[in-house]
Amino acid sequence: MKRLAILLIAASALFLGQAQAQRVNLLCSPDLAWCEALGPAFKEATGIDLEFQRLSSNDGLARLRAEAANPIFDVWFGGTGDPHLIAFREGLTEFYEPSVWDEIIQDLKDQVGGTYIPLYAGALGFVVNEGVLEGKPMPEGWRDLTDPMYKGLVAMSDPNSSGTAYTVIATLVQIFGEEEAFEILAGMHQNMAQYTSSGSGPGQLAGRGEVAIGVQFMHDGVKFAAQGFPLVTYAPVEGTGYEIGGLSLVKNAPNRDAAIAFIEWALTPEAQMIAAEQGDSYQIQSNRNTPVAELAPDLSGINLIDYDFDTYGTPEVKERLVDRWTNEIFPTPR
Amino acid sequence: MDASSTPNALRPRRPAAGLAVSGAWLPAALAIVGWWALPIGRPNRPFLTLEPDLYAASIGHPLLWLTLFAAVAALALSFLPVPTARRADMVLAVGVVALASVVAWFMISTTPFGMGALLVLAGLVMLLGNALSESGRVQGDAFIASSILFVSLFVLLFILYPLFTVLRSSIYIDGRFDFSVFLRTMQHPLFFMLGNDRSAVDEVALTLRWSLAGLIGFATFALWRRVRWTAVLARAVLGGALGFVLGALIYGNGALPTSLLLVSIVAPTATLLGLAFALLGQRGRLGAVRRSLDVISILPIITPPFVLAFAMIFLLGRRGLVTYNLLDMQSSWIFGIPGVALAQILAFTPIAYLLLRGSLSSLNPALEEAAQTLGAGPWVTLRTITWPLVRPGLAAAFLLSMIESLADFGNPIILGGNRKYMATEVYLSLTGRFNPNEAAVYGAVLLLMVLGAFFLQRWWLGGGSFVTVTGKPTSGALASIPRGLEVGLTVVLFVWTVFVAALYLSIVVGSFAQLWGVNYTFTLRHYQDFFAGAGWEVFLFTARVAAISAVPAMLLGFLVAYLVARQRFFGRRFVEFGSLLSFATPGTVMGVAYIFAFNTGPVLLTASATIIVIALVFRNMPVAIRAAVAGLAQIDPSLEEASTMLRARSLTTMRRVLFPLLINTLVTGLIFAFVTAMTAVSQVIFLVSPGNQFATVLLLGWVDQGQLGRAAAMGTILIVSLLLVIVVVLQLARMLGARMVGVRT
Repeated sequence: MKRLAILLIAASALFLGQAQAQRVNLLCSPDLAWCEALGPAFKEATGIDLEFQRLSSNDGLARLRAEAANPIFDVWFGGTGDPHLIAFREGLTEFYEPSVWDEIIQDLKDQVGGTYIPLYAGALGFVVNEGVLEGKPMPEGWRDLTDPMYKGLVAMSDPNSSGTAYTVIATLVQIFGEEEAFEILAGMHQNMAQYTSSGSGPGQLAGRGEVAIGVQFMHDGVKFAAQGFPLVTYAPVEGTGYEIGGLSLVKNAPNRDAAIAFIEWALTPEAQMIAAEQGDSYQIQSNRNTPVAELAPDLSGINLIDYDFDTYGTPEVKERLVDRWTNEIFPTPR
Repeated sequence: MDASSTPNALRPRRPAAGLAVSGAWLPAALAIVGWWALPIGRPNRPFLTLEPDLYAASIGHPLLWLTLFAAVAALALSFLPVPTARRADMVLAVGVVALASVVAWFMISTTPFGMGALLVLAGLVMLLGNALSESGRVQGDAFIASSILFVSLFVLLFILYPLFTVLRSSIYIDGRFDFSVFLRTMQHPLFFMLGNDRSAVDEVALTLRWSLAGLIGFATFALWRRVRWTAVLARAVLGGALGFVLGALIYGNGALPTSLLLVSIVAPTATLLGLAFALLGQRGRLGAVRRSLDVISILPIITPPFVLAFAMIFLLGRRGLVTYNLLDMQSSWIFGIPGVALAQILAFTPIAYLLLRGSLSSLNPALEEAAQTLGAGPWVTLRTITWPLVRPGLAAAFLLSMIESLADFGNPIILGGNRKYMATEVYLSLTGRFNPNEAAVYGAVLLLMVLGAFFLQRWWLGGGSFVTVTGKPTSGALASIPRGLEVGLTVVLFVWTVFVAALYLSIVVGSFAQLWGVNYTFTLRHYQDFFAGAGWEVFLFTARVAAISAVPAMLLGFLVAYLVARQRFFGRRFVEFGSLLSFATPGTVMGVAYIFAFNTGPVLLTASATIIVIALVFRNMPVAIRAAVAGLAQIDPSLEEASTMLRARSLTTMRRVLFPLLINTLVTGLIFAFVTAMTAVSQVIFLVSPGNQFATVLLLGWVDQGQLGRAAAMGTILIVSLLLVIVVVLQLARMLGARMVGVRT
């Protein structure tokens, strides 16, 4: 019994946690390389320590929700806009107007209003591995994806698990109207090799030669190509939708002052240039004064639709469209 | 397995005459010291903030003063010169008051517990254990009684309470009971859909045809066997039901049939392969086979998630080395059930092997020798002696591979293709559809399936006795396996070896290639990135956390196994079952449950390495339990009874008798706990926090971003280091085991 008591005291030493110094805790959703590059640069600029945890934007929202009563994170950096919007509407994050608000691209601000701060924009497109096409022409637009010659060669993510796939559906609905959009989706379904659970999965499948055409965000396609995968990235002719990456201040953040300092810094052109220079990330950055990276898809040459974030960002619309897809398209044999 | 076989007269030491001093004095003193010297609560997350006002804040409340008075009273009562049982009853009453008051204070104040509270609680639980034992209310000495209390407390706090918080949300939404999400999920095509209006065939009719075939088949068989007509009827119904289930698995769509189909392929295959390898390893004639087996079949479990799946894609995918370059195929068959099943069989066969090896090696060879002396051939010996005796091991292996297959996350997420799987849907409904209630429904169904498996195992084992080690000297040569079987098994092992070697080689190659799968120019870039970036630091942190968690997982597992298999107490089933639950619960569900349960209130643990350690301990403990229970089932309780008769305490008996006999099993449990902790992903993905990064979560990030080279580098480093650990520890255990058993039996 005495030994057990001693053991217990020793075991309780396990519970020792390190005392935390003043710092900012970042929930970081973009590419890991970008997240890793932020810390040293921020420390150099402000002297504040930065610790981050990389979680995809979907995981990030789940995490913020679970920790709502006692948040660990101060800032949510990057990741697609829908989860940021949901987080704001659920009171998990709060809107903070940065001093560089005037320098943020006006269109992006108009779309998200006072919910979260736009950090970057990225458009949907096709990521194509020409070798796997074996001489077949590259698809030019959404309708081409329904052509039976691409049978078994197309990949897209599953809207039940990925926000990217939902952006595809919402884009098609906005370009073609709902009925025609679902006809196109049904035609694409016939050609689909697989629906991936992750949004950037299709481009990776194409890169490895499992499929020829991946439907996903273009900046990730550019990144895979930069890594050496034999991929070409371009936008469909009928026009395409886009996402707005978010930056949010977590409500009741434990280190609020440091969090605000970080947000102010993250929106400066110097900080935003880190994305392309060190972070393998080629989105269009939200500050007008940030130079566009050489590799980044040139949005001016793309027919970007006037994406209605206000309507298609609401959970009700999303749930209805995804349910319709899940019941009408997904079970169809092919 | 049942302690009812222990005669009453041989209960562990019970004080018949009066003890001069109650054993409760020491824990009472511990509680008082804890109360006095350390802060009961803490202001927020950090544990070691030595602020003076903390003490004051803790001590200000009357409930806490009550705790102190009760503890002091218990201390004083311990020295009271009255009959032991009566004194123990008094100490018990006071101890309950002390415990209740401190728990009540935490409930009311919702202050996070501090170091002092840990000491106070531990002291009070031990005090109660002493008192319960001395009063005779619990059979067994103070150690047994305290252990029962501790184990029950742990199961309640770290398994059942978090599960309750998350499962409640499947039917309790926004403050009231609401079954709509539950019903909607059950009817959703992602969950289960049999009749698909969009397909040309009628799945329901086809399934009913299967059902009819099963009914007729079983009835015919029953008639042929000439059983009573009621039995014929019962079997016909059973056959019809089985046929229906099979048909639904084949024609149905959705996560439920997919996961069930997967399990019914993977669990039997993995168990039988595990048994084959164990037989071959222990009794094969080829020395090389035996030596290589240990290492080869352990490989898959030391492999971090995702990496092996990618290696399979690059070997067997549409552009795979084997399928495209050698066989000139153009097929993506690997995405879907075939690929996931293959990956899972690769991963879970070694677990089955490890369990069955332990089971086979603790089998007394004299029995088989007796059978052979009586003229039984090798086949007959295998069928009538060996097979029945390894049934506990087989059942444990089957159950484990079943649970692992159901809860597997890494393989389906990479290789799953279009199919949905229960464990990934838990995660995806939470993170992709943002619906925690739906995730809870999936989690609940998954749990029910595992419980079904558990009861199936119980039913199969029945109440048989599997004791072969009796303390009498064991000797005799191991029965060798039939030659024909050995040749067949060796071929299987050879194919397995070649395939596994190719997979691992391709991971290593991938880590040195510019771009795995595309550009095989040699580079050290990924390793440089690994050591320069966050990789190395995170790897070390992960190793430390895994090592810290493995030891308590093994010791607790052994303790629980001993209590469950050898002691009789109220709540025995509860402890056994509760600890099984933590393993059966898909990791993602448990992770979310831990955040719900431990993010606020008295048990504030999130954002620390501690919560990861605890999650891993309770996640991996059940494997140690199953292994130790299977091992204990083969050890005759009379050995412990002899020890008890010689007036050894139960702790001594455990340490000096059972521990040496079970050392192989326990070391297996320890290795398993360490390795699975290092390669765990689903249970820690929600628990990592800034500064507490986990290697596998980092790996998932890389995989997600297409950084396969770095992922392969991390994979290679993990595989090599874990392999080293296993080889060294197994070698040590073999030497240690031989010495301990040699000296003390």
